[in-house]
Amino acid sequence: MRDLFRFLFRIRDTLLFLVLIGFSLTLLYSGNAHHRARAINSSNAVVGGIYSLRKQITDYTGLKEVNRRLAEENADFRNRMSSSYASVENRFVRINDTIHRQQYRYVPAKVVNSTWHKPSNTLTLDKGSKDGLHDDMGVIGPNGIVGVLNDVSPHFASVISVLSPEIKTSVQLRNTGHYGLLYWDTNDPRTSSVIDIPKHARVQAGDTVETRGGDRIYPAGIPVGTVLTVVDVPGINYHKITIQLTEDMTRSGYVYVVDDLQRLERDSLQLINSMP
Amino acid sequence: MITTILANIIRFVLLLLLQVLVLDQLDLANSYVVPYLYVLFLLMLPLELPGWASLLIGAVTGLAMDFFNSTPGMHTSACIVMMYLRISLLKLIAPREGYEHGMRATASRMGLTWFLTYSSLLVLAHHLWLFLIELHSFDLFFGTFLRALLSALTTLVLVLLAQFLTSVKDRERG
Repeated sequence: MRDLFRFLFRIRDTLLFLVLIGFSLTLLYSGNAHHRARAINSSNAVVGGIYSLRKQITDYTGLKEVNRRLAEENADFRNRMSSSYASVENRFVRINDTIHRQQYRYVPAKVVNSTWHKPSNTLTLDKGSKDGLHDDMGVIGPNGIVGVLNDVSPHFASVISVLSPEIKTSVQLRNTGHYGLLYWDTNDPRTSSVIDIPKHARVQAGDTVETRGGDRIYPAGIPVGTVLTVVDVPGINYHKITIQLTEDMTRSGYVYVVDDLQRLERDSLQLINSMP
Repeated sequence: MITTILANIIRFVLLLLLQVLVLDQLDLANSYVVPYLYVLFLLMLPLELPGWASLLIGAVTGLAMDFFNSTPGMHTSACIVMMYLRISLLKLIAPREGYEHGMRATASRMGLTWFLTYSSLLVLAHHLWLFLIELHSFDLFFGTFLRALLSALTTLVLVLLAQFLTSVKDRERG
């Protein structure tokens, strides 16, 4: 018995090493990939605080670019305003619209930290649960989709970027409506792949790919990218499509978090249906 | 004793901030090369530190990095592996008379050859582990290997640079 204790004491460093490495590998591989960064991520108050402090300083260097992009966006919104359309008829009737109801609300947020060169990428936003954000909300930029919220703290939120093989987004071809999944396996921040689009669907370079909607994350019709190449491998029933992402993931300054206002209703309905 | 602890805590904070605020944002060779200079803190820990303490300090340092990078377990495991190797390595390359009390792992104190052996082996081990874990597979083994090698070299150059910048102060202190 004494020899055993002496032996254990002699290899104490190795024992501690095994315990610690076991702990860290559990962290690494526990849970499903989507919620992997449950506790340890940059939505933490201290980490988020340090990142937003840095952002405050480095923001000044990017003001010109941010201004340009905001101006572009303003111009786009202005184009959609009713005052930009000449009226066809002069009689206007004010209707209390009971057919259309707002379904999505957009919460603007600033990206305080982002990566795009890793095998799996994340962003940190400066809005959190106090601004009404919660898990699994979509994040879009001025030009296209950016990612999905995976954790929120009161003032910060961490986002799994579309540049991660962990998330697959439901997308469709704007022309034909054939749908597939956006899956990042290109290891290039400018491109991504679309899988599971059947071979009989007609696709050619330059076609627009947009979100399909219905996944409670993104509204339908948000631009995702344009088709770069289509490769057909014999023996496989699906196209291998590479697309160019419309959102430049290497520089997203401001983004919008999508809040689905009917989400609760739909979720509770699905919950009731799934109960035995 | 207190001075040593304080110096190490300050080094920890400074190197961690330098890592997450500056080095992680660098875009070297299209981010093919990422130096992880924060390991300098682990390299410069006192030589007479007991094994269990160095393992725990390694785990905490890695965990802090993981918080900043949202990569649970990645840096933690890499640092633990590195610190475990450090225990054996220190025994292996100890001078004939053993380490004197209060000896610090610096190039000016231990000699350049000793420091180069010590830091290059540990930095390489840390980077290799990190880049392989990050990949989650052995798909691109040689590409990743090269990436780890180049990053480790960059880190090493920064480590040596830091050593030479602080060595003047060190010699004055004796």
